[in-house]
Amino acid sequence: MRPFNYARPQSLREASQLLSTHTGRAALMAGGTDLIVQMGRGLHSLELAIDIKRVSDLGDQVEKMPGGVRIGALTRLEDLAANEVVRASFPALSEAAGSVGSVQIRSRATIAGNICNASPAADTAPPLLAYGAQVNIFGIAGRRTLSMERFFTAPGKTALLPGEIVESLDLAFPKEGTGSAFERLARRAGMDVASVSVACLVWHSGSVRLGFGAVGPTPIVAEGEETDSMDWVGEYVKPVSDIRAGEDYRRAMVVALSRRAVKRSRKRMGEDA
Amino acid sequence: MGEYVGESVRRSGGEERVTGKLAYAADLHIPDMLHAKLVTLDCAHARIVGIDTTGAAELAGVRCVITAADLPQPVPRYGPVDRDRPVLAVEETKYYGEPVAIVVADTENIASEGAALVRVTREQLGGVYTLEEALAPGAPLVQDPALRPESPLRGSNIYDQWHYRWGDPDNTSADLVIENTYRFPMQVHFAIEPHVFIAAPGEQDGVVIWSTVQHPFVLQREVAGVVGLPLAKVRVIATEMGGGFGGKGYPKLEPLVALVALRTGRPVRLLMSLAESFLMGRRASSAVTMQNGFDADGRLVFVRSSADYLIGAYGDITKRIVGKAAYVATGPYSVRDVDVTARAVFSHTVPATAYRGFGAPQYLWALESQMDEAARQLDMDSLEIRLRNLPAKSTVLIPGETPVDGEWAEGLTMAAKAIGWHTPLAAGRGRGVAIGIKTPRAGATSQVIVRLHHDGSASILTGTTEMGQGSQTVFAQIAADCLGIPFHGVNVVSGDTGRAPFDAVTASSRSTVCMGNAICAACEDIKGKLRELAGELSGAAPGGIVVSDGRVRVSGSSLSYGDVIGGVYGRGEGEVIGVGEFRQPKDDRHPLGGPSPFWEIIFVAAEVEMDLETGSYALTRLATVADIGKAINPAQVEAQDEGGALMSIGQAQMEQLIIDREGIPRNLGALDYRIPTTMDTPLEVASLLLENADGPGPFGAKGVGESGAIAVAPAVCSAVSQATGVTFTQLPITSEDVWRALRHRAANT
Repeated sequence: MRPFNYARPQSLREASQLLSTHTGRAALMAGGTDLIVQMGRGLHSLELAIDIKRVSDLGDQVEKMPGGVRIGALTRLEDLAANEVVRASFPALSEAAGSVGSVQIRSRATIAGNICNASPAADTAPPLLAYGAQVNIFGIAGRRTLSMERFFTAPGKTALLPGEIVESLDLAFPKEGTGSAFERLARRAGMDVASVSVACLVWHSGSVRLGFGAVGPTPIVAEGEETDSMDWVGEYVKPVSDIRAGEDYRRAMVVALSRRAVKRSRKRMGEDA
Repeated sequence: MGEYVGESVRRSGGEERVTGKLAYAADLHIPDMLHAKLVTLDCAHARIVGIDTTGAAELAGVRCVITAADLPQPVPRYGPVDRDRPVLAVEETKYYGEPVAIVVADTENIASEGAALVRVTREQLGGVYTLEEALAPGAPLVQDPALRPESPLRGSNIYDQWHYRWGDPDNTSADLVIENTYRFPMQVHFAIEPHVFIAAPGEQDGVVIWSTVQHPFVLQREVAGVVGLPLAKVRVIATEMGGGFGGKGYPKLEPLVALVALRTGRPVRLLMSLAESFLMGRRASSAVTMQNGFDADGRLVFVRSSADYLIGAYGDITKRIVGKAAYVATGPYSVRDVDVTARAVFSHTVPATAYRGFGAPQYLWALESQMDEAARQLDMDSLEIRLRNLPAKSTVLIPGETPVDGEWAEGLTMAAKAIGWHTPLAAGRGRGVAIGIKTPRAGATSQVIVRLHHDGSASILTGTTEMGQGSQTVFAQIAADCLGIPFHGVNVVSGDTGRAPFDAVTASSRSTVCMGNAICAACEDIKGKLRELAGELSGAAPGGIVVSDGRVRVSGSSLSYGDVIGGVYGRGEGEVIGVGEFRQPKDDRHPLGGPSPFWEIIFVAAEVEMDLETGSYALTRLATVADIGKAINPAQVEAQDEGGALMSIGQAQMEQLIIDREGIPRNLGALDYRIPTTMDTPLEVASLLLENADGPGPFGAKGVGESGAIAVAPAVCSAVSQATGVTFTQLPITSEDVWRALRHRAANT
């Protein structure tokens, strides 16, 4: 790994200023589970790593708000997976967060890091898309909120402007009479990047909202009606072949996993009622 | 039976390993040490047009940059069988990752930075990366024919070829003939500890090498050849390793590092990352074609087989691997008519080397898949067809070879029973059995010194290395019982050519039997000397003196070892030195140089649960039965079998090194090369032992270590085949492969 500078700002403003004065040569670091690995593989030639773990105005907890929850950017995936409110109201997100890497990785990796790395296979992206999460963004020029589906723009790319930092994520509680679930396939049972992942939120009426991972250049969202085969979800995805899976296998699996996710969501709806 | 043999004595060094206290090679800090980094190219086969080292040499902290032109000419070559590998690439690189230069600097970071500043002008050349490419007419030759002017194969990419036959395979016939070609992928060893090489000049004008090396005596010989020093001036210290699996067996880059250390006059360390370790060696991929003839009762009448093993750019130890694997191509089964041919084929890829199982897994997976296919076609139980073909004890399986030395049908039945073979099978599940067999290295020698100190404790000086397999514990158990002294009074000094006598290799599941027997012999030598000393002391004839249970009984009185040694040499002085060796008979007419000391065999039964929609499958039950003769330390034997099983599960389900069409590996490192995690282990595992004390080792022991890694993948495949009705001819069998096979079958019915 090449030598680099390290900064540990105390405030969002300070972090944002560092980021914008070193545009393209600096990166934010929270858990470091993506960044450090990428630097070790020589994928970044960073001059500055900005450690935001000590930024006092960034939260690391799930807060209950009127009508939903606010997830602080620094919330670690292990905490997110175990959170009682998340487990009860957003089980697909709990399942997805709990499937990332290993206990050690989840104990460092953060929710904001997982989405800002913008991997098409990011495990938390499909449920965040399915639940219609809103991303709260801090910038020197002001704060703004972006819907999750507009956040991912390309592999490794987000809609964040220079100097902008994800501050938190807002999730509205799903309406009564809904159910949700997360499904994934990987090459092995433990510690692997998903080959295909699916999250879904199903309404009693039969409406479904799904999020897909690893079947396109970005995580993908789809809305429609529940069917037996769920084969319509194939219209939404643009998988490629790589060392993890073939294009046709991914295409078949996104349909199969959608069916399973819908089925499990239905079952959960019954448990709630 | 003694006090310690047969007991699961707590292994020495175990606590240090799990707490991270053990000093691995990477933890060593030699005063004044420099750090090295290799310069490699971004392609596989290329002509080196020019190397500009100026930028690197000018970097502050860089001590020297060495290319082939800076080395003695012609550039020294080395290798365990044929010395075909240059210390640095000469004129061309033959595989991705082959070093063209080495940068030595004050720190590792500077060395890396320096390596990036070396400008190599190269011209990419066409290469051969698959068997088809390497064997095509007019294919570029990987090895310079001048390196083997005498060989009739020098104009081809065939390194060597073998032909074994017995019975009358040309005029044979059978009721059922099955033929398939099975393709086994390249795999890497993935020891958790990567390779580390350190060399230091000095110590009486010699060179000292610390390395992650399983066979320090082979390395000592090869380094001595490269640097031009007598063996006595080359000391190789094999540090305790975090796994070897054959990947740390034969010389890697130590000869280069030794040359560089002698050149700079300072200790030099070359530390490989895990991804770089993948470029140090791999398992040969293979295509094994098997034609098996069966009679109507499922008896194997003939086996005709031809196999090609794709080795890398240099020979390494592959002559032994392929020659030996083909020799046991018929596995554990009695076959009347046999014709087996095999070739080792060069390619522009990472050199293939020893890998747990030593070429046997490739053949045995093919053979066992053929047995399953025959069972299906004959509508027979897959356990039954195997039992019908297993030889009885003392049968001669291969003409001229050691007869069958165990109760093989008993072992296979035990494994099947352990997973409830005859109980009803739940829907979506499949069961399979398989047998793993290999012969340990023939004609090899182990020599040892055991020192009995005057307080009755003992030190074993052994060349056997410790890589996690627990040889030190087993050796101490054997010596403690042979001498009748406490286990905690035995110390084992291992893997240092400057301190211990010769041991051929720490591999091939041979240490317990071969070094174990040498230790027994050394202990007998000590006892003989004790009798002589006691005779000297008492005036009694040595013939009437008995040494047993740690006491020396002479004319009615019982003396401790200390009484005897102290009596002769003076209180608190002297020791008795025992020398022992185990030498296997050599036979030049035998294709492997001599008969095998024993058969290493394991019986495996597996049950899988299939998800037919996604193709994924999980192991629900796994049982292994190792025919171990006598377990010196049962817990360690079970751990060996479990570790081997897990490794083999990886082979069945996920492992393969992917080399692209340009010869570049696509999955170097832990992120992209998949091995099983604890989440991938079977729900139930039983590691059972068959102990009939019928081995040639101490207390009737046979060897263990490799067998677990041979038969689990075939058993898993067998179970998947039973559940899906598909014969798979390519490993690994991923979820996607199962899905594809099922889709293909559905489309064709």
